[in-house]
Amino acid sequence: MSTAHQKLERHSLKFTIMILLVASLGGLFEIAPLFTIDNTVEKVEGMRVYTPLELAGRDIYVREGCYACHSQMIRTLKSDVDRYGSFSLAAESMYDHPFQWGSKRTGPDLARIGGKYSDDWHVAHLKAPREVVKGSVMPGYGFLADTNLDTDKMRAALVAQSRVGVPYGEEHIENAIKDTAAQADPEAEFEDEIIERYGEGINIRDFDGNRDRVSEMDALVAYLQMLGTLVEVDALKKEELVR
Amino acid sequence: MQIEHDKVSGQDTTGHEWDGIKELNTPIPRVVTWSYQLTILFSICYWVLYPAWPYVTDFTRGLTGYSSREEVIDILQSSSNEREVSIATLFSLPIDELAENTAIRKQYETSASVLFADNCGACHGADLEGQTKFPNLKDEAWLWSDLPEEIEATILYGINSGHDEERYAEMTAFGRDEILTKEEISELVAYVQSISGQPHDEALLASGTELFEENCSGCHGDGGEGGLESGAPILTDNFWIYGGDAQTLSDTIWHGRKGVMPSWENRLSKADIRKLALYVYWQSHELEE
Ligand code: HEC
Ligand code: HEC
Ligand code: HEC
Repeated sequence: MSTAHQKLERHSLKFTIMILLVASLGGLFEIAPLFTIDNTVEKVEGMRVYTPLELAGRDIYVREGCYACHSQMIRTLKSDVDRYGSFSLAAESMYDHPFQWGSKRTGPDLARIGGKYSDDWHVAHLKAPREVVKGSVMPGYGFLADTNLDTDKMRAALVAQSRVGVPYGEEHIENAIKDTAAQADPEAEFEDEIIERYGEGINIRDFDGNRDRVSEMDALVAYLQMLGTLVEVDALKKEELVR
Repeated sequence: MQIEHDKVSGQDTTGHEWDGIKELNTPIPRVVTWSYQLTILFSICYWVLYPAWPYVTDFTRGLTGYSSREEVIDILQSSSNEREVSIATLFSLPIDELAENTAIRKQYETSASVLFADNCGACHGADLEGQTKFPNLKDEAWLWSDLPEEIEATILYGINSGHDEERYAEMTAFGRDEILTKEEISELVAYVQSISGQPHDEALLASGTELFEENCSGCHGDGGEGGLESGAPILTDNFWIYGGDAQTLSDTIWHGRKGVMPSWENRLSKADIRKLALYVYWQSHELEE
């Protein structure tokens, strides 16, 4: 045994400093370059921030622990791409704090679930999964349809997101509460305003089939229906995708 | 601190001593240290061959230039080339001729049934018999048409799907939009129950018949016989998308309905959509040998 190391081991402060130094190497090489390498997040068209209603749905998704059974990460494997569609891009989760990639699939991947089913189906399925899909082990979430969405907190939610770097502007934050309710209202008078703030192609409709209230179900379905629909990955050229 | 040599084991001690107990400094077996060196060697080869080290603005690509994305894109490309060759037959004839061809049916029916279970079964049921809100695709009654090319168009563009070429069909919300009163709606419920062979309130029937002619037959056909292929269902059979009981019927007429069938154009390949259209057709039609 080298005596140099023996000496080091006997010096608790020096030894602690050396341990910290060596342990931080991993972080230095794995994390630090991500801040300076600018090709990790692809430059793609179509990405936009979540609307407040979608963000509320995302919060419910996190709260209910959907990520424990569902991933949102289509891997670069043929079997994944065949079943779920184009593999996920880093850019597609650039506004996700925290991301929902997940690591376990008890149920299918949801990264591109948007548009695959109708709102009606999602509502029926979330209320009673086994009524629609025989033998499903997914729990029911019927209470979401009976719970009013707490729209008041969406302003603070947007502020929190903007603090971690999501580009919500003054106007998004000012109108957050109004926009949350308006997106779930088919007769909304501010339809154009939402589109102006968040872009074309926003789903504005009554998601849960109950026009009288904005429920947590509205928010969750609005979120599910936009997942994976923003970037047209199929239209990207191979050179743009390969890293 | 006294390092001693232990004759029995042939090893030195560590020099530590606790209450007269000394500890041998037996080295780790060679095979373990060697395998450790080997893993280091392996990782060095890996760094050289594969993408590995990040630096400030980029990362080392490795001599092989491997990229998992490139790999999967290539695999998909080559498998779709293979598939294209084998599915050329699917586009060699017009779809209505393919639909009547028993050899084609033998060749594609099984793989199409898997496609159906993966993509359509959640709504229409793996047996195609439908469930509440999602129509039966096996029966005689068609919202649109049972011509194979029409079925294919339904799958491609969807119904009320938001696709530019969607099929559009909406049942008017007669109650909510204040076109009919509550009483008129209960008369219509009685009428719809009568034409579908259910028990009903005879007293309401006469005015119900009249109301139906005025308000409903334009979409549902005379006497609710359907057949207009414009998205409105037959009301005289005993299959219901939403339900034939008085409460559901009255809800349907009061709130209207607008079922959504998603568009599959951007989700499935043209060939898969064609197979599915044929499959739906085959499940509801007997072919002549
Ligand atoms: C215990 C594990 C579990 C949890 C928790 C769970 N799911 Fe599921 N989910 C499943 C399984 C299994 C399936 C497949 C069977 C089915 O369709 O019901 C599924 C299917 C789905 C599907 C249909 C996917 C497809 O492509 O057909 C959606 C959408 C979905 N889940 C959403 C959710 C949401 C939203 C939550 C949280 C509110 C959630 N799930 C929580 C297990 C789970
Ligand atoms: C989200 C649920 C959903 C899924 C998934 C779905 N459908 Fe549908 N489909 C519907 C609904 C709802 C209708 C009826 C629309 C209406 O009520 O106006 C329909 C109608 C149809 C029709 C027209 C039937 C007629 O009578 O004219 C066909 C054909 C059809 N679907 C085939 C398919 C095929 C094939 C797939 C799989 C690729 C599929 N559907 C997947 C919900 C779905
Ligand atoms: C503008 C055309 C239109 C008119 C007018 C119309 N309907 Fe409908 N109706 C539809 C369509 C389209 C559907 C299918 C809705 C769906 O599945 O999304 C439907 C569905 C229904 C259903 C549900 C059937 C089932 O299988 O559950 C009933 C019942 C019904 N209509 C009754 C009526 C009555 C009664 C009237 C007259 C007061 C009427 N409709 C007028 C288009 C119309």
